Amino acid sequence: MKKIFVVFAVLFALGLSACSQASYEVREGNTLTVGLEAAYAPYNWTTQQQNEFTVPLNGQSGAYVDGYDVVVARHIADELGLELVIKAIEWDGLIPALQAGQIDVIIAGMSPTAERKETVNFSTEYYRANQVMVVRTDSTYADATAIADFSGSRVIAQLGTLQDDLIDQIPNVVHGTPLDSYNAITQAVRSGEADAFIAELPVAVSITQSNSDLTYVEFEGTNGFTVSEEDVTTAVAVRKRDNALLEAIDSVLVELSSETKDAWMLAALSRQN
Amino acid sequence: MAFILATLPPQGDFIGTMIYLVENYYQIILYGLGVTILLSVVGTLGGFLLAMGVTQARLVEIDQKRDGPWQKIYKATFKRMAVTYVTVFRGTPMIVQAMIIYYGVASLGIFPWWSPLPAGLLIVTINTTAYISEVLRGGVSSVDPGQMEAARTLGLNRRQAMRHIVWPQAVKNALPGIGNEFVVNLKDTAVLSVISVVDLFYSVRQSASTNYRYIEAFMIAAILYLILTFVSSKVVDYLTKKLDTTSEVSQS
Repeated sequence: MKKIFVVFAVLFALGLSACSQASYEVREGNTLTVGLEAAYAPYNWTTQQQNEFTVPLNGQSGAYVDGYDVVVARHIADELGLELVIKAIEWDGLIPALQAGQIDVIIAGMSPTAERKETVNFSTEYYRANQVMVVRTDSTYADATAIADFSGSRVIAQLGTLQDDLIDQIPNVVHGTPLDSYNAITQAVRSGEADAFIAELPVAVSITQSNSDLTYVEFEGTNGFTVSEEDVTTAVAVRKRDNALLEAIDSVLVELSSETKDAWMLAALSRQN
Repeated sequence: MAFILATLPPQGDFIGTMIYLVENYYQIILYGLGVTILLSVVGTLGGFLLAMGVTQARLVEIDQKRDGPWQKIYKATFKRMAVTYVTVFRGTPMIVQAMIIYYGVASLGIFPWWSPLPAGLLIVTINTTAYISEVLRGGVSSVDPGQMEAARTLGLNRRQAMRHIVWPQAVKNALPGIGNEFVVNLKDTAVLSVISVVDLFYSVRQSASTNYRYIEAFMIAAILYLILTFVSSKVVDYLTKKLDTTSEVSQS
């Protein structure tokens, strides 16, 4: 009987608080508390180096967080005149922490899935992973414009990734054995064991910069791979009631060009290594 | 240090990767180690103090002849509350308690200081209270009833007899069990990472997050946990033995 009472008391308290809390006020000088895992490179990771890119982790002395999400979070906070605070929160705890008011937004490489949208609202995307193919510069595929041009080629990708699943969209493709690191994949294409590999654009840029015998092929519109939005986009999550905050964040994000975002991601990738 | 590894060793260099991780993340890992020790010390000491109260409430005896009606009611209520407390907190996993208490209190929005670490300290304390209460109850019941009878014969009332005769012996009997709770806490507080308490487990996970070398990182965690539990087990053994000898000496 007492236990039942306790359960009711907790539920009542939860329900009460859900009604009573005011929505986030976007005002100069207010604190914007961002939640992320600090363990999901290249979006966010923990380091003990303090530099111009890192932000100290709230409540954990000596630990700093770096990554693409941190750059985006800092940009949003700067543009809106908000004080940025970043908390490291376990992945499964991110949405509960947002609901409970421990954080104001989630910027954690999170994709806006339909299930999550039932609980929280998502901003416009702040990163879209364009899928490109990396080939040798002297290869006949270097001038390709559509994935159909890769018909009959030998293509590889990283083990257990979205890219490995995408290979089969190429007509008549020879699906090579997936490898576990981009080092091995790059080597396979350079040595001619494979004709091409699929990668996200920033990864491809980074690899082709350090391997001048390689280049990458981008596709436009329907010439490229068919991917679901959930697989390739990430967005900022906010509480359902925080419409003003969502609009403010959207207004900052729409101003970002895809070149800027790719450059930030590339820089994050190079800091990670 | 003699071996400075500026860049990450290749995949497969297990020891090299572990050294790299320690060099690059020692500050973060040490912080987590400190939090794990803090959680265990506060949880066990706090749990011990609270458990004395809970055990006392569970052992309350209602005297049908002498107690007035109000006294009977409040004694029965205290006793029932203490029993329920132990049943609930021993009967549910700490990870579940952590989720309910942390997010439950957070969503009330009335404590600005409420954050993972204070929540973790509270959760490990109330959880340990329930377990140590069981240990103490065993400690009390292992004291010969003759001790109480003798004390009453000498003119002490029940309360005085409990305080001066039964409890000191009960606590001494319970010490190995309490020490064991400390060792268990060192390991079990790892579940508090579920509410983002940055303990040893979570901090090691963070250290692996840049390069995804999880096995090497968790091997570091395993070694540190093993050192912690090994050393504290030895300390508990030593203290227990020492207490035994001194009591023998004073008896002779």
